[in-house]
Amino acid sequence: MSTFRYLLRDTFRLIFRHWGMSLLTLFSISAVFFLLGASSLLSLNTRHLLGNIEGQLTVQAYLKPGSDLEAARKKVQTFGNIVQIVAITPDEALEHLKARLGNRAEVITLVGENPLPPALEIRVERAAHVSSLARRLVAMAEVEDVVYAGGLAEKLSRLSVFVGRLSVGILVIAVVAAVMVLFNTVRMAVYSRRDEIHVMLQVGATQTYVALPFVLQGMLLGMMGAAFAALTLLKGYSSAISVLAATMPFLLFLRDGALLAKLGVVLVGAGICLGWIASWFAVVRYIRDAVKPL
Amino acid sequence: MDIRISGVTKVFEGDIVALDGVYFAVGAGEFVYLVGTTGSGKTTLLRVISREVLPTKGQVLVGGFDLRRMRYNDLAYYRRDLGIVFQDFRLLSHLTVLENVAFILEAMGVPPREVRDRSGFILERVGMWHRRFLKPPQLSGGEQQRVAIARAIVNAPAVLLADEPTGNLDPRTSDEIVQLLTSINASGTTVIMATHNQYLVDAYRHRVVELSRGRIIRDENQGRYAADVDL
Ligand SMILES: Nc1ncnc2c1ncn2[C@@H]1O[C@H](COP(=O)(O)OP(=O)(O)OP(=O)(O)O)[C@@H](O)[C@H]1O
Ligand SMILES: [Mg+2]
Repeated sequence: MSTFRYLLRDTFRLIFRHWGMSLLTLFSISAVFFLLGASSLLSLNTRHLLGNIEGQLTVQAYLKPGSDLEAARKKVQTFGNIVQIVAITPDEALEHLKARLGNRAEVITLVGENPLPPALEIRVERAAHVSSLARRLVAMAEVEDVVYAGGLAEKLSRLSVFVGRLSVGILVIAVVAAVMVLFNTVRMAVYSRRDEIHVMLQVGATQTYVALPFVLQGMLLGMMGAAFAALTLLKGYSSAISVLAATMPFLLFLRDGALLAKLGVVLVGAGICLGWIASWFAVVRYIRDAVKPL
Repeated sequence: MDIRISGVTKVFEGDIVALDGVYFAVGAGEFVYLVGTTGSGKTTLLRVISREVLPTKGQVLVGGFDLRRMRYNDLAYYRRDLGIVFQDFRLLSHLTVLENVAFILEAMGVPPREVRDRSGFILERVGMWHRRFLKPPQLSGGEQQRVAIARAIVNAPAVLLADEPTGNLDPRTSDEIVQLLTSINASGTTVIMATHNQYLVDAYRHRVVELSRGRIIRDENQGRYAADVDL
């Protein structure tokens, strides 16, 4: 119990004795985690948008007049990646049209026979599946024409893949940068107290007791830096979103509070972990060497 | 804790032979002077006992325990049974006298109240209580030496290793330091003291072990705690 008190006291001494260094570290870690969080938000938003659009993704295949609708449906069913197929007979299509036109429906009733072809309305899982499905449909003998509003969705899906790769890249760079900054800070602290470390080890302090204040220092700096970044980022994001949503309500931004909170927790957790790893490497090697007999 | 060193040889990098087949036994409660010209291996022998130096050859048993077989975590606990006074003090200059002594106990997990009481008691004993809030650079050489001794004995060690504890001190302060070590020895602690000071060796008579080029060339039992040295 008292050991724990000494450890905490030494940790805070380490942080405050080199307060300039600590501030600089906090600032760098915050910047890195801000970038990391921002790229996660971008990636989450693209996926959110894509998910929304994908919910409404349909491909319309118009068959040649007189084709066997049911046979065509069964054939398409085997294509895979398909959520649902609705077969629409010419009569049903006419009904839909009439319903949509409302009181202007006479225009159609004037036409003698029903000119609408039988059609299949196919819902797919992913935007990325639209174009391959369309190509296969076009290749079918009984299909006359294929219509889909997939252009945007497809572009978006490609964007999403790009954003995903970008954020993995940023993640790697951010992790490396954060570890390096923390490692350096803890290393500096270790060197500034190397006499103390040597004497402590020579008079019977355990390696853990000597190492822990440094490890805690790294974890605390990582945690505070990440927490500061998460707070500013999420606060900034939610106010930006409420402004944007008021002016452009048609844009679908991610507003899931629980998910955003989770992102914050993940950032802070990552800060603690990176702080732990970096400071562990910074101090343990040094102590092992210091305690090694000649 | 008795110390048994059998056939210990230490060859440092560059083929420097610091110890050359040393046999040396110290019984619990003894006071031993380690003498010899500079470079004869006194510090190395002390560092073999504190396990800062591993012998190239030979065996070191302390309290029946083989230092070569010591595991990683046991080292810290072993060193708590030792008190070490370094040739160059090694006090921490940014800590006060009191803190320099207290942090040893803190590292052992002693509660704060007890840390303060025991540190105060020891500083009183070495006559440094009135200087407790000063930092080492503000102290004279003799005062720093007293603090170094206080730090070495605050954990009530079974063995005290003192490397030239009177190194740069005037004769009177040297006398006081040896008297202090003698009184620590009288309370049961084994003391091994490396020294160049022939006057002290003659004035305060204890067992004398002389090293020359890494070999023991003289071992005289002069003290009250003469151990049965059977090698
Ligand atoms: N770490 C080391 N690496 C290489 N050689 C060393 C090392 N430590 C000591 N030596 C050598 O071992 C020999 C004995 O050194 P040691 O320090 O034990 O002598 P000493 O008797 O304590 O001398 P002094 O009275 O000057 O303190 C010396 O020749 C020294 O150069
Ligand atoms: Mg020496």
